[in-house]
Amino acid sequence: MTRADLDIPPRPLAQRLGAILWPSFFAAGVATMVFFAIVDPLMLRDMTFPELELSRMAGYTIGFFLFWAATAASSLFTWLLLRPASRFNRRMQ
Amino acid sequence: MSNGVSTESIPLYVKQPKVYPREVKGRFARLRVIAAWSLLGLYYVLPWISINGQQIVLFDLVNRQFHIFGITLWPQDLIILSLLLAMAALTLFFFTALAGRLWCGYACPQTVWTEVFLWMERVTEGRRNKRMKLDQGPWNKEKIARKSAKQFLWITFALWTGFTFVGFFVPIRDLGLRLVEFNLGGWETFWLFFYAFATYGNAGYLREQVCKYMCPYARFQSAMFDDDSLVISYDVNRGEPRGPRKKSADRAELGLGDCIDCLGCVQVCPTGIDIRDGLQIECIACAACIDVCDDVMDRMGYPRGLIRYTTENAMAGKPTRILRPRIFIYLAALLALATLVGLVLTGRDPLLVDVLRDRTALHRVTEQTLENPYTLKLSNRTDRDLSVSIGVESEALSGLRIIDPTDSVIIAPSEVANQPLTIGMPIDRARVGMHEITIIATDAAGNILNETETRFFIPARALE
Repeated sequence: MTRADLDIPPRPLAQRLGAILWPSFFAAGVATMVFFAIVDPLMLRDMTFPELELSRMAGYTIGFFLFWAATAASSLFTWLLLRPASRFNRRMQ
Repeated sequence: MSNGVSTESIPLYVKQPKVYPREVKGRFARLRVIAAWSLLGLYYVLPWISINGQQIVLFDLVNRQFHIFGITLWPQDLIILSLLLAMAALTLFFFTALAGRLWCGYACPQTVWTEVFLWMERVTEGRRNKRMKLDQGPWNKEKIARKSAKQFLWITFALWTGFTFVGFFVPIRDLGLRLVEFNLGGWETFWLFFYAFATYGNAGYLREQVCKYMCPYARFQSAMFDDDSLVISYDVNRGEPRGPRKKSADRAELGLGDCIDCLGCVQVCPTGIDIRDGLQIECIACAACIDVCDDVMDRMGYPRGLIRYTTENAMAGKPTRILRPRIFIYLAALLALATLVGLVLTGRDPLLVDVLRDRTALHRVTEQTLENPYTLKLSNRTDRDLSVSIGVESEALSGLRIIDPTDSVIIAPSEVANQPLTIGMPIDRARVGMHEITIIATDAAGNILNETETRFFIPARALE
C-alpha cells in the first residue's frame, strides 16, 4: 500500500464536533473579551440599531455568538478541506 | 467493486466503547479528592462572599467593572487582565515542565467535574461491575429507578453550577432572590441553562473524549516536556514478562516479572488506556493506576512503584536534573510578568481625571480676575467613597486659584462624576499665551490622588 492509498477511518462524531466547536468556542471567548473591553455594547447599539432596546447583557451574548458563528464556520471549513477524497468519492457509485 | 472503490458502508458515527472507571483508594486518590473539594469549594462559595457589601469576585459586565479581591478593574485595565492570563499560561507551562500533567489530573475543571459526576453515578448505579451489568440489562424497575436518580442528581447539580456561573457576572445574592421569585432576566436564564448543559454534557457523557479529542493542551504539551519531566510510567524492566501467579509462587522460578496482569490499572483508568503500553497522549496523569498497582504490590508482598511518578531519564538509568534551563526560563518569565502586574496595579491612580476645556467660552474676565472654565470627569476607581479636593499649580503663572469648586467633592465607588471647574488668576499678573498648568486632586488626608496636565489660556484681547 502506498502512502497515497492510506485512508483514515472516519473519526467519531464526538471527536469531529469537539474539534470544530471547542477551539472556536475558545477563540470566540477571547475575541469577545478583547472586543468588549474596548467597545461598550450600548455605544455599539446606538451606532447601529438605536431603535432596538438591547441591554449590555444582550449585547455581550449576541456578540459572543456572532464571534462563535464566525470561528466555528472557519473550523468547519478547515475540517471539510482536511477530509480525504475518499469520503466524497464513496458517495458517487 | 470493479472500480476498486470499497462499497461497504462505513457508519458515520463510530461508537466509542464506554469507559467504566473503577473506584480507587490510595495516596493520590486522596490528593485528588482534596483538590476537587478545594477547587469546587472556591467555585461554589466564592461568589457568596461579600466584604462591605461588595461581592469579592464579581465580573460585573452590566456596569463594565471587574471586582477581584478588592481590586476594581475597568475596561482600560485590559492590559492587567491580559498579563494575568499570560501568567496563568506560564504557570501551566512551568508545572508541566516540572511535574508533567498535574493540571490534567488534579485541577482541570473537566477532570474535577467528571469526578463529581462519576461519584453521583456510583452513588446511584453502584460500583463498576454493577454499572456495566445495569447498562447491559433490560429496562426494568430497578434500572429506571437508578437511572432516574442519577439524572436527578446530575441535572440538579448542573443547574446549580450554571446558577453559580451566572453569579460570577451578576450579583449572586440578588440573583438568588430573583430565582426564588422566578424573576430571572432572559439572558441570565439563557446562560444559566447554557452552562448547566455544558457541565452536564461534558462531565456526564463526553468525559475522557474531551481530553482525547477536544483538548489542545494534550496536543502541545510535548513542547514543554523533556526527559526530566515527571511522568507516570510503568517499569517495563521490572514488570515483564507479566503473568498471573499464586502469591506463594516464586516469580524467579516461573520466569515472571512483577506485573501479575490483574488489569487493575486498565480498569481504574478514566481515559480507558493501558499505561503498560507506555506514555500516551490520552493519559491525564491522574495517578489512579499508581494507587491500584501499589495496593496489588502490597498484597503480593512486592515493593511498591511498579507504576510510579518518574522521569524518562530515571527510567533509562540516567540521572534526573530538576534544575535545568527550561525551568529557570519559565520561572524568570513568570517573575517578570508578576512584577509587571504589580507595577501596573500599584501605578494605577485611585482617581482617574479627564480635563475637558469648555469649548464655548475659553476664558472669562471679571473685574480683577481672568478665568478659564473646564469640566472635570472624575472616575473613582476604588471600592470606597473618595472626598476629592481640587488644587492647581503652575511654574509659568503665579496666583492661580480654584474658584469653583471650593468644597471637596464626594465621589461614590466606581462613580464617574462630571464636575465643573473654574480656575482664575489676578488679571495684573497675567501674561499672554497658553500656559501649562497641573490639576492636582487630593483626598481628605491630603494625599495626592492624581495629577493631570492641562492648559490655561490668556488671549491678548483679555488684557487690553
